[in-house]
Amino acid sequence: MSELRETKGEKFFNIIEKNAVSILFLIICAVGIAFSGYSLGYLGQEIITRVARNSFLIISLLIPIMAGMGLNFGMTLGAMAGQIGLIFISDWGIAGIPGMVLAMIISTPISALLGWLCGKILNMAKGREMVTSYIIGFFINGIYQLIVLYGMGPVIPIKDPALVLPRGYGIRNTVNLIGIRRALDDVLAIRVFGLSIPLMTFIVIALLCLFMVWFKKSKLGQDMRAVGQDMEVARAAGIRVEHTRIVSIVISTILAGYGMIIYLQNMGTLNTYNSHMQIGMFSIAALLVGGASVNRASIGNVFLGVTLFHLMFIVSPMAGKNLIGQAQLGEFFRVFVSYGVITLALVLYEIRKRRSRTRAGRLLAQDQLDAIKEEQ
Amino acid sequence: MTKIRKFMKSFGWPRIIIGLFLLSLFIIAPFVGVNLGTSLSDTLIRFGMNSVLVLAMVPMIHSGCGLNFGLPLGIIAGLLGGTLSIQFGFTGGLSFLMAIILATPFGLLFGWGYGSLLNRVKGGEMMIATYVGFSSVAFMCMMWLILPYNHPTMIWGYAGSGLRTTISTEGFYLHTLNNFLQIQIGEKLIIPTGMILFFALMAFLVWAFLHTKTGTAMTAVGSNPVFARASGINIDRTRTLSVMMSTWLGAIGILVYQQSFGFIQLYMGPFYMALPAVSAILIGGASVNKASITNVVIGTLFFQGILTMTPSVMNSIIHTDMSEVIRIVVSNGMILYALTRKSEVSR
Amino acid sequence: MENKRALLKRRIIQLAVIVLVILLGVVMFVVGKEHTILLDNKSIESGGVTYNAFQVVEVQVDGRDKLELGPRDRDKEVVMGQRHKVTVTYFDKYYEEHVVVKKFKVPISQKMVLISLPAVAAELDQSVWLTNYEAPTLLNIPKDEEPIVSDDLIPLDF
Repeated sequence: MSELRETKGEKFFNIIEKNAVSILFLIICAVGIAFSGYSLGYLGQEIITRVARNSFLIISLLIPIMAGMGLNFGMTLGAMAGQIGLIFISDWGIAGIPGMVLAMIISTPISALLGWLCGKILNMAKGREMVTSYIIGFFINGIYQLIVLYGMGPVIPIKDPALVLPRGYGIRNTVNLIGIRRALDDVLAIRVFGLSIPLMTFIVIALLCLFMVWFKKSKLGQDMRAVGQDMEVARAAGIRVEHTRIVSIVISTILAGYGMIIYLQNMGTLNTYNSHMQIGMFSIAALLVGGASVNRASIGNVFLGVTLFHLMFIVSPMAGKNLIGQAQLGEFFRVFVSYGVITLALVLYEIRKRRSRTRAGRLLAQDQLDAIKEEQ
Repeated sequence: MTKIRKFMKSFGWPRIIIGLFLLSLFIIAPFVGVNLGTSLSDTLIRFGMNSVLVLAMVPMIHSGCGLNFGLPLGIIAGLLGGTLSIQFGFTGGLSFLMAIILATPFGLLFGWGYGSLLNRVKGGEMMIATYVGFSSVAFMCMMWLILPYNHPTMIWGYAGSGLRTTISTEGFYLHTLNNFLQIQIGEKLIIPTGMILFFALMAFLVWAFLHTKTGTAMTAVGSNPVFARASGINIDRTRTLSVMMSTWLGAIGILVYQQSFGFIQLYMGPFYMALPAVSAILIGGASVNKASITNVVIGTLFFQGILTMTPSVMNSIIHTDMSEVIRIVVSNGMILYALTRKSEVSR
Repeated sequence: MENKRALLKRRIIQLAVIVLVILLGVVMFVVGKEHTILLDNKSIESGGVTYNAFQVVEVQVDGRDKLELGPRDRDKEVVMGQRHKVTVTYFDKYYEEHVVVKKFKVPISQKMVLISLPAVAAELDQSVWLTNYEAPTLLNIPKDEEPIVSDDLIPLDF
């Protein structure tokens, strides 16, 4: 396959366009940091904490992208499963690492079931996976509320009255996770240059990254990439396309469940009815900021993204206050930027899809012209 | 027998279930002490409130742009119209008229931009529509804070600048339509004729438009783009037109909603407002690329009926307010159902 | 034929993994169960004899910091797991130091237990100095809601 000959200008624009979102974010962060007045030490500590807290969740998004399912808005399902696990261990009074592990064990079958359901529905909506997973998130949230707000107490026995709403059934809006608070973070917390680093959490994240690398090379991983590239070609090659797609969602959901537990052990409190809905949006925005697209994402995107996104998040209110006089403006600004970034990434993805088709056309034309020239 | 079966198949099982559920709620109501008259009035009022917003879905579905998850953009145009009308000092019925007039240029402008964007991303409209909607709401959050409004009823008292989160429409266009030609039957049954007449007017306009040459072109673009292009129709221009219509209807829709509801909700208010409208029209029988006025009427009636009846009836039976959860499950389930059906048109 | 055997093998491995995970869960449950140990320095009566509370007594649970209690004082320690030891140090009326160390096991289903320090010091039977404790339910309900901790991006209302 010959390469398309482009002018230097075209090549330059291509690079800018590929990384448009990240570059834009870099500029926003630089301006924001300058105006916020925060010290580098403060920012550094905040970023370390947030990277440790959020990375696992964001990494869980990589597998569906690999399998061509787009951005998995259904990761909220995994988050809900993780939360249910945490509710149970809080009720039973299990603390520390054992508590976390038990919560993960409980969340796994729930995640698997929800992921399977999600995958099945997504297979029925091929071509519209992202919108569908987005709505599935809301739908299952209703089911989650049915279970947690109405079922827990009467149908599912909850022993600890501190967890229950004053009316007698249903879990409270906030659950104090003091038992597992920083359980993972503090196992090996070290201090480097005055910054506290939760080493164990990073080790867990590193293990996940290794798993990802191995997974990409494994047979299942290769199958998924084939399905992601072209479903029909994969089917012709004998791959069970529908099954592979469902598996990708199941794995992603299970990982999201674990990621949520890690996230919450750092937060220390469970916001029973809101945490999971927000987390999906955060994680996807962060991944996109790191330069990922709807059909291509790598581990590098995860870490770059979480750093940039959370930097912007931290500095916006202060920067808004110093620039315009209202911190509230900064807060709205970061909401706008978060959604705007997803919009931009989605638009660029579609445009690029169209552009690659015209590029293929141009390449074909170029080849033909070259062939004609050679004959002459 | 086969005729009935055919009807049921085309009507769809979910809709039949929802219809029966709603009917049973109405039947049970008097037995559990819920006044039927009030219930009917409430349902009709909520129907009127939401009808135009649901109607706004129709043009875009017709032209193949999918479900308009970006309705918040139109809603914002309406909010601008409403707040400007109050800012310029119009009161009473005139303020409603002025709100519509002021909202129109915004609606058309936003719709034009939004439509041009959607034309560049054919295939991924729905997702992008959702996030365009969200981003614009978030952007306006910033704007509501710094735009130079200064009408005393709208801004924060002590801080002095920036609009309030909710602004009452009392004294302005509160119940302008509701009270117009109101019919009262008996003690509790009130029919908000004005609002329903207004919806009928809007619906008629849309129906009439869809039967004009441009309107039929729009339908062609949605149902058979190849044929449309062969007939010389400019697809992009037609699509943009449909988006402009949708956005403008969204602006009108939120004004109708506000005059009944009594408040203008700024900031994060419009954030999730697309979803109820989307599920309403889907409940009414529409699909991702086919929608009619009948769908709007049936859908809004069913959806708002369930929203009205579930809390009161279920509360009296099981003494629990499960209405919120039921609303989430029903509306999102309906959207899921629509998304997972094979569309009649391939891209 | 080959296929069937491979399938069976896979099923057995899957079953074994599930069993192992469940076992792990049970282990985690037992190891991680938290209990509250209340340490009471109150006079108690047993078998007709009254054991007085100490003017001052030092108590240590496992290897933690030593706690000092006055008469009618009560303190608590939140511990993980079932097996623990309690060390009571006190001075008798001759100003001689006595140290009593007792190992005990908390029943897994009990959230709270009460240890009577005078009883431990008197080296009574474990059933006397270690009793199950049921907190009156009024105590358990937190009065204020925990402050909601979140990185809020959107107010949720759908």
